[in-house]
Amino acid sequence: MKALFFTVFALYAISVVLQFTGTAFKKDKLLKAAWYIFMAACALHLVFIIVRGISAKRLPLSNQFEFANAFAFGAAVFTIAVSMKMKAGWLRSVAMPMALLIMTYAALQPMEIKDLMPALRSAWFGVHIGSAVLAYSAFVIAGSAGLRYIIASRKENADEKMLKQMDYLGYRLVTFGFLFLTVVILSGAIWAEQAWSAFWTWDPKEVWALITWIIYALYLHLRLRRKSNERFLAWFLFIAVFVVFFTFAGVNTLMHGLHTYG
Amino acid sequence: MKKLFNFLRSMRFGIILLILIGIFSVIGTVIPQGNSPAWYAENYPSAHGLIMALRLNSIFSSWYFIVILVLLCVNLIFCSLLRIRSVTKAAGDESVRTALLPIIVRLSPEGVQALEDHLEAIHCRAEQMAACTVYSKNRFGRYGSFITHLSILLVILTGAAALYLPQVKDYTCYSGSSVVLEDGTRIEVFDFHIEDLSGRLDYSSNIRITLSDGRSSEQRNIKVNYPLAFGRYKVYQQTYGTAGSVTVTNLDNGGSDDMILDEKSFLSLDGVSGLWYLALYPDYLEDPSGNITLVSSVTGHYTNPVYEVISVSDGVYAPVLAFPGEELQINSLVFRFNEPVEYPGLRVKETPPFINAMLIFSFVLMTAGLYVTFFCEPVFIKVSPEGYTAAGPRPERMRMDLSDRFGGFEIDEKEESQ
Ligand code: HEM
Repeated sequence: MKALFFTVFALYAISVVLQFTGTAFKKDKLLKAAWYIFMAACALHLVFIIVRGISAKRLPLSNQFEFANAFAFGAAVFTIAVSMKMKAGWLRSVAMPMALLIMTYAALQPMEIKDLMPALRSAWFGVHIGSAVLAYSAFVIAGSAGLRYIIASRKENADEKMLKQMDYLGYRLVTFGFLFLTVVILSGAIWAEQAWSAFWTWDPKEVWALITWIIYALYLHLRLRRKSNERFLAWFLFIAVFVVFFTFAGVNTLMHGLHTYG
Repeated sequence: MKKLFNFLRSMRFGIILLILIGIFSVIGTVIPQGNSPAWYAENYPSAHGLIMALRLNSIFSSWYFIVILVLLCVNLIFCSLLRIRSVTKAAGDESVRTALLPIIVRLSPEGVQALEDHLEAIHCRAEQMAACTVYSKNRFGRYGSFITHLSILLVILTGAAALYLPQVKDYTCYSGSSVVLEDGTRIEVFDFHIEDLSGRLDYSSNIRITLSDGRSSEQRNIKVNYPLAFGRYKVYQQTYGTAGSVTVTNLDNGGSDDMILDEKSFLSLDGVSGLWYLALYPDYLEDPSGNITLVSSVTGHYTNPVYEVISVSDGVYAPVLAFPGEELQINSLVFRFNEPVEYPGLRVKETPPFINAMLIFSFVLMTAGLYVTFFCEPVFIKVSPEGYTAAGPRPERMRMDLSDRFGGFEIDEKEESQ
């Protein structure tokens, strides 16, 4: 199974290298190859997740490795879905490395399959953690759209229509992520009351989820103000990704609380 | 006064409050919360004065954090309830306002026909105006952000009630006995056991709740994630403990008694001779020369329990380590040490009626509000023989979709208005 994971990892890495080379040397064939390899990696990634779920006999979302793995998969799926549905090929050169980055983090985590600990055996497990994967993936790809906007808007003759699309895509992904992050927080509260008797305990992981939620609520409101310019919003989206990463990985490693599961 | 009111209801004020909540939340996770003043003095020697003065040790219950939350509620009331009138009014004449907009995308007559067919196929409502048709979809989506803000207000208020109104108390109770609460509600514990699931321990009690009016819940196992709720009570499997157990037999009359040992105690008939129970150890280590080191903490079952006791007989004190199954005679009393008993620590939560239901309702409302806001955006499309214009609070998606489907020649909005 490790071999399958590293094959997926290698395919993502190859696709990113080809994407960069293709972009640098303006070789369409390389870009095309990069894209097909990326899609193949994503399909194989799904196979890996299913196989892992079957051998663990549960949703493969329980520890840092499994969550990061699902997160990388989510980011890859969003990259593919968005670039196909919205014809946003421009997203790839930023979003593909982003998926690879998360995959790299997953590769650095201990991979062995462990039984689900009693505190996690609940119907809320799938809803809570599944929504977190969706929310974080959407935010990361929104941040990629932000970064792409920043890069594109530096050019003198930047394509206005494309910039608008980048701005809108970032917004659209945030709306999706925001809805799911809300589900994460609310389902977490219901679950916490079932498990620990209190809806909210100001545990660091809870508070950082709330901080992330507030940051994206700020983005949504700032975008409503006519005064906010798109470049500022693009920077906002890009920087917010670091908060998402911190909530996802930093809190577990740097802070102690109820959410520290193996 | 009007200026103050305008500020209180402004989105700018809302944004400032959200930023403040965010900043204090970060501080509240960087500085560990709820420790003793001595702990802060030891860990933050140079800043502990400041931490205590600004209550950074319990930031989430500090007066200023609560004031910010109250102000956020005020702001939310203003920005949701007070805005609803203008939202309703704006929604009322949105079609007319759309009809007055200039055409932005030019289409051929066939293009216009295809567009109208498409708008009908996606169930847009058509309104005939003087020189155009206005198609609209998701009109109720206008109320999405109203529902969202109102539900946030509800979540904060009912959340505060759900956090602070319930009474929570912890009890220990041995299998076969019961706890009686102040109002007469009885919680019976029939059984307690520790399941060892591949190295991960799970604690489970078999209980039943009987309310003061005589109504009883089902009898079932509770464990983490599966509390038993009945009436206003919810009983959680919270912790567990292990206590010593001895059978004392009086050789003079043949009587015997089983006793649970959960604290230091002196078991004696005359108050002079008897057994001092000091502690129960879960395990011990024995070196090759027979020296024993007691292990004071393990998780789960006590693997090799050891009783630490003192035998007191006619003024002579003799420390003894006793193992389950062993007996110790002190004058006419025989103490037989049994296997320790495991017992649950139960948490009993009493919540006033409706609070949890209200909270869950506000959660559902908030999710629905966000869904409507983001995914049921109202759109208005003016279609005339020359082309079309898509309008609404966030018409981008519809504009992109229509432009993908029907192309057309886009007229610059600025040029048009000049
Ligand atoms: C507590 C956190 C808050 C959250 C999560 C929140 C959420 C939202 C969302 C999701 C939207 C829709 C944005 C969009 O469509 O792009 C919105 C719009 C808006 N929010 Fe908030 N909001 C919050 C607090 C506030 C506060 C305190 C105010 C104070 C005035 C406010 C004022 C507004 C206004 C005026 C709009 C535009 C309404 C519209 O488009 O109909 N919000 N908010």
